[in-house]
Amino acid sequence: MNWLENPQSEAERLVRDGLDQAARRTGDEITHRRGWAKVADALLEPEPRVSGRLVLASVSAAVAVLAVAGVLVYPHLGSKTPAPLALPSLPVPAVAPSEPSGQPTDQLAVEESERAPGNVIRTRKGERARVALGGGAVAELSENSAVTWDTQHRPSIEQGTASLSVPHQPPGWRFSVTAGPYVVTVVGTKFNVKVGGRTVGVEVSEGIVEVWRGSRSTRLVAGDAWHGPLYPDDSATQPPSGSSLAGPAASATPSVARTAAPSERPQAAAVASSAPLVSNKPLASTSRGLREAQAALQAGDVNRAADILSHAAQGSGLAAENAAYELARITRYNLGRPRQAVALWDRYRTRFPSGLLRAEADLSIVDTLSQLGEVGAALAEAKAFLSRHPNSERRAEVQRLLERLRAAEASSEIR
Amino acid sequence: MSDDDPKARVALTEQEPNMGQKQNTSPPLSAPAVIADAELVRSCRAGDMNAWRSLYDRYAPLIHRFSAALGVPAEEREDAAQDILIAVYRSLRHFRGEAQLSTWIYRIAARHAIRLGRRRRVRETMRVMMLKERPQPEIDPSERSTQLATLDRLLAKLAPKKRTVLVLFEVEGLSAKEISDVVGCPENTVWSRLHHARAEMVKAARRMV
Repeated sequence: MNWLENPQSEAERLVRDGLDQAARRTGDEITHRRGWAKVADALLEPEPRVSGRLVLASVSAAVAVLAVAGVLVYPHLGSKTPAPLALPSLPVPAVAPSEPSGQPTDQLAVEESERAPGNVIRTRKGERARVALGGGAVAELSENSAVTWDTQHRPSIEQGTASLSVPHQPPGWRFSVTAGPYVVTVVGTKFNVKVGGRTVGVEVSEGIVEVWRGSRSTRLVAGDAWHGPLYPDDSATQPPSGSSLAGPAASATPSVARTAAPSERPQAAAVASSAPLVSNKPLASTSRGLREAQAALQAGDVNRAADILSHAAQGSGLAAENAAYELARITRYNLGRPRQAVALWDRYRTRFPSGLLRAEADLSIVDTLSQLGEVGAALAEAKAFLSRHPNSERRAEVQRLLERLRAAEASSEIR
Repeated sequence: MSDDDPKARVALTEQEPNMGQKQNTSPPLSAPAVIADAELVRSCRAGDMNAWRSLYDRYAPLIHRFSAALGVPAEEREDAAQDILIAVYRSLRHFRGEAQLSTWIYRIAARHAIRLGRRRRVRETMRVMMLKERPQPEIDPSERSTQLATLDRLLAKLAPKKRTVLVLFEVEGLSAKEISDVVGCPENTVWSRLHHARAEMVKAARRMV
């Protein structure tokens, strides 16, 4: 019997419920898939060797940096005004000119000192600007757009469209940008923010973004588009069946719809939907079928898991998509049938050409074909992957695989 | 049956050569699909990426859950899980197999969580010193459940050693013997820490309601 299984008080119930929920806090599938991409990349990298001389140099450098920081920070310790050093500082790239767009442009350069609270960077008709926002993030402002900084030095899109590119933030750091009453937070991604008329819109092309309003939020993954009213009482902009932000107390009801990532735009219409997205688990891992399959797999009953997934894959939506992908995966790894797995991933691609797991499926095919020794087919798939997913986090991994395949092909030709 | 025949390709009863093995040696369908940790470790050491993927799939959710209960905030958890698994990769050759693989991973994860907590406290102290103001507590987007948020607040009040023991017992479901292997203390100490941690949790919860 578990501790506090029969709670005698509200306090005991609180503790037991919390512990039960903590036992289920295993992270969402997107996070794990992205995590594997990075771990796999590290496994393929040669292990770094640290020489004694390097350690000595690092320690000396750290001491020097601390000494300089101490000299710079000390005079500000008594000051009421926060010194620039006191702010969470991350490497900030210089403002770079935007790509020529063929139309009249008046590129604006923004110095770090201009990113002060209240300062506004504005583009007029025909102008575009590339603005370094801090934290390594860069915003490309379209014409008639404006960005400002609030008192917390957080950028705020006041008007128009800004395409943001945010590098992966160091642990503990989270990049935020505001738009009207919403706060968009990310750890590393590419997305657009539009503030126009009476609406705020966010489109994610890479990574995961969270849109917050007060204590309510929604999570968007690559390919999602979201829009909500700029003004709290603006019912005119509320979609009839839009989803709400998850949480207890929002007054606005913004909507979320799936659109395609830039590399997948031709198929956008096929996957567009206005289904709400308020869950932490966008891959519908809460689906009963998938849970049953997972349980069967853990119990060692692979055939039953395959049957359940096969059945679940017949349906539609994200649960079916996930089941179709997983069916191929267990066919390869648990049933040991690589050719059949390739066929199943191929079937997944036909059914879900712009699916969330499309890149995973493509990569799995490359990997399986190369393991099977089908160098020619694997090479073709690897090349297709690189052109289809130019921004994939797994690009480096595929590039290395491609090089190995080319070497294998060359050596077989020599023989 | 040709592999090009679409019907043949998706028929789950079809037998195929298992990769990396000789033909006709593929495991029968009734063979247990869950590879034992020892076997997994052997394959990982031999550089088998599939084995690494299986190890990741098996332990990433555990690391995520354990790190969360030890107070690693949501925005750091993904990186923490990666760091821990890369640490496992780099030191797997030193794993002697005397303890269970999970025990060893728990040990690495616990040390990493404590290290991250220490860094976070230093960072916050520096911020408070320099800004002369207390930082606003960030809302954790993944912690939308009130019970979880409350539990995290209660756990945060415990000393790290008591917290680790309570989490390993109550959240991870380890036995006192396994916990003593993870934290490196006698079983009696585990029971004692667990007893005190439970009492402190309930006492703090009573003050909260």
